[in-house]
Parts: sequence; C-alpha cells; structure tokens
Amino acid sequence: MLEIQGLTRRFGAVVAVDAVSLAVPAGQMLGIIGRSGAGKSTLLRLVNRLAEPSAGRVLFEGREITRLRGRALREWRRDCAMIFQQFNLVQRLDVLTNVLLGRLGHHRGIGAALAVLFGHFTAAERAMALAALDRFGLVETALQRAGTLSGGQQQRVAICRALLQQPRLILADEPIASLDPRNAQLVMEALRQVNRQEGITVLVNLHHLDTAREYCTRIVAMQAGRVVFDGLPAELTAERVRRIYGITEEEFEAEARARAAPCAAAMA
Amino acid sequence: MTPAEIATWQARLPAAFGADARTRARRLAAWLAFAAWLGAALWWFGFSPARLWNGLSGLATIIRLMIPPSPGEFWLDILRGLAESVAMAFLGTTVAAVLAIPLGFLGAGNVVTNTLARFSLRRVLDGFRGVDQLIWALAYVRAVGLGPLAGVLAIATADIAVLAKLYAEAIENAERRQMEGVTAAGGGWLARLRFGVLPQVLPVMLAQALYFFESNTRSAAILGVVGAGGIGLQIAERIRVRHWDEVAFIILLMIVMVAAIDWLSGRLRRRLIGGY
Repeated sequence: MLEIQGLTRRFGAVVAVDAVSLAVPAGQMLGIIGRSGAGKSTLLRLVNRLAEPSAGRVLFEGREITRLRGRALREWRRDCAMIFQQFNLVQRLDVLTNVLLGRLGHHRGIGAALAVLFGHFTAAERAMALAALDRFGLVETALQRAGTLSGGQQQRVAICRALLQQPRLILADEPIASLDPRNAQLVMEALRQVNRQEGITVLVNLHHLDTAREYCTRIVAMQAGRVVFDGLPAELTAERVRRIYGITEEEFEAEARARAAPCAAAMA
Repeated sequence: MTPAEIATWQARLPAAFGADARTRARRLAAWLAFAAWLGAALWWFGFSPARLWNGLSGLATIIRLMIPPSPGEFWLDILRGLAESVAMAFLGTTVAAVLAIPLGFLGAGNVVTNTLARFSLRRVLDGFRGVDQLIWALAYVRAVGLGPLAGVLAIATADIAVLAKLYAEAIENAERRQMEGVTAAGGGWLARLRFGVLPQVLPVMLAQALYFFESNTRSAAILGVVGAGGIGLQIAERIRVRHWDEVAFIILLMIVMVAAIDWLSGRLRRRLIGGY
C-alpha cells in the first residue's frame, strides 16, 4: 500500500503538485492523466525522491519514504523502478549490461566493488537478464549497443532493467509518448503483463485517455497540481472529461500529441 | 534462477557470460606486453627509488631557495617579458586560427569531395603537426633572428596544422539537414558553407582558438629559452645565476596571468557560445 498524504511541491511561485492525497493498494495499475504542466511527472518523481517535497509525505507499507536518507533511500529507489519517456538507457553500453544495471541496488560490499570497477555480474544475474529480455522478444539484441535499437525496443529494455531491480512498484513517466502506436501497444502490454503476473503496482503517466481506459484499473486525473478525478476507467466518460478540462476529449488528445510530436521527431 | 536455468542460458548464449578462452588469452597477452614495455622503459632509464628520493631532496633545496620570492632589481624587464609572451601567444594564435579556417574547410570530407586533394592536404598538415613548436622556434631564430617574431611564427606554424584538423573534424560533424535547408532555399555552394555550416562550427572553432591562446601563453615562456622572445629568456638567465627567488616570482606571475586568461576566455566563451 502506497499512501500519499498532502504532498506539495513548489517551484518558486509555481505549485507543481498541490496537496495531493492518494492511497494505492498493492497490485493496482493506476493511470495518471492530465495536460502539460498538470504535475504528473513531478508527482512520480516525488514518490521515488528524484524530487523533494515542499510539504506532505509519502508512506509505503507504513514506512515514511519522505524521510529516508543514504542507503535506505537507495534501497527504496531500487524497490520502486522508474521508466522514463526517453528510456534513459546508456546508449553506448550493450543491452545486456543496461539490463544488468538493475542489479546494482542489490549489490553489497565486494560485489558492489566488482560490479562498479570491472562490470562484473554473476552468472545467475546474467541468466536472469537474458530471461527478462527473452520474455519481451529481445534476447537476440542482448549483445548490441542499446543505441542501435528502435524506441519501442529501448523502452522494453528499460522495462527489463526495471524488472531486474525486483521492484515492488513501477513508476512509468509517459512511457509511450515518444513511440508509434504499434510500439506503444507493445510497451503498455509489457507493463500490464508485469502488473498481472508479478503483482507489481504500476503508476503510469499517460496523456492518451483511451490507453488509460484500456490498460489501467483506476484513473486519476490532475489539473494544475490537484487531483480532479479519481475513479474507475468506466467512470471517466467523455462528458466527465469535458467538465474537468473544459475541452473535448479529441481536443485534449490533439494537444497532447502536439506536445509529444517534437520529442518523437527528435528521436528519429 | 536455478543452476539448471543458468546452465541453459549459458549454453544458449555463451557470449553473454563473458569472453571465451581465446579472447581472454589474447587480452592477457596484451596486458603482459604493456607491463613488459613499462618495466623495460623504467629499467632502461635507470629508475630506482633511491634516485627518485635523491632527486626529490635536490628539488626541496631549490624550493627552499625560492622562498621568499623576490622581484629582484630588474622587475621592469620581467613585466616586459610577460607582456611580450602574452602578445606573442595572441598574435600567433590569431594568425593560426584565421588561416586554419580555409584549410579546415578544404580538409573536410563533406566540403571537398575530391579524395586526392583532401588526402594530400591532410598529409601535408600531418607533416607540419609532426614537428613541435620548439623545433619551429629554433628554425625561425636562425631564419629571422632572435626575438619575438621568431616565437610568433613558431606558434602560428605549429598551431595552423592542429587547428585545421580540429576545424575539419567539426565541419565533418556538422548536421547535413541544415545545409540541405539552405540548398533547398536556392543557395549555392558558398552560401551553403556560409549559412549552413559556419554557424554550426563557429562556436567550436572559437572555443578551440581560445583554449589554444591560453595554452600558448604557457608555451611562449619556453620559447624564450631558445631565444624566440618572451619571459623565457628572463627565466633562463636567472636559473643560470641561481637566483631562484626571482624565478619563483616570475613563476607566480605566470600562474596568475594564465589563470586570468583562463577566466577571461571562459567568460568570453559563455558569452559568445552559450544560449543559442
């Protein structure tokens, strides 16, 4: 159970996240939707502490995440894997090593030193990485540089890296905004599979409402840092969207596409 | 992961579990060769801890003689020498940076498509680069006589070739799409270089020229030792008569000067390049 209580983040005069409270039971696939600047990304980054809150707190199974420091904080980050819009793979490393980076948080002492100095990972970890890649049809690319893969493949490699962290939680920040529809579908299905088979809680930022309705078990809508809708996918009707955002669903998505397009072009 | 599963993966994709025996043997051989060379060179030059220790104590004596640094009687000569060094570096770098621009374009594969012409130019530049600044300085001292002119020519000659190569590489890395935009707008060959390439590479060229200016200020001190003008002559004279306190004073001034130039060129770079 992830609990967010009165979480607020200000950047100067701007309130990016404004007193958000949410309770996410284990195993949920939660979609967070909203327009550009609604605070979705900041909310996720507050959960794994890539950003620090101005007020409020985050609890995971009763433990106060917003207080963790040093090793405890690194262990929490290992336990809540992050998927980024631009994949954030190390382009010049091969796919296998990128996936193995997910193990870094599990190493202690001499193992950590060996991994950092010589890139040494155990045979069991390597087999684990290959099995993860195989699951998403990527095992043939294991020894290629990550930079040679397509965007959709890279995002699935990023999911493999997340899986090797053996996380309790996956935070996905616009994972499909830079992908074409076919690859977007593959990535969303991979996330759903991970959610259902491993029972990992998934928090995913999306701008495509139909995607959110199709894959998520619960949807939260944000507007100007606040939660303005929290319910089942079926409850988020076109009428509700218009009432919340003052524009039709088509306009909402056209706006999101226009925002994502320059990113996609930059990738090509 | 059970051992059986690991074994299955090891059989299926052995390369993922590290290099095979032959690659490992080759790597080991390469490392051994490297270590052998290192050891042989140390043995050849008679490196021994005792010699290093004695050398260090000699150095300590010199450092003791340096304290406190003193300007001596001829401090005006020192200042003039410093100014001369900076001026030499400035002139030499400017000449090199400007002349290297056309050479850089001519040496870039995406500008000059004639392989033979480009290849010959690049080999000529390589030849110039193979000769160090100090050798050029010695040659110019014989050719144009003692003094800063020889130093300026030495700096310019040695740097033209290096800068031209760096410029050529920057030009080759320029994005083609921007040039294509100029072509599509009706621009010719020269317009393509002027508007499609130059704006992309100018910041790189400028940054490199500024780095060279800074580094040349330092090397201009050495050129004086062989009579090519600048502060080096003052240092060499004072070392000859063992006025180490005055040497220390000059060294301190040089450090301050190089730091000032570094700070200034850093600001200039940020001002001219930052925020496009």
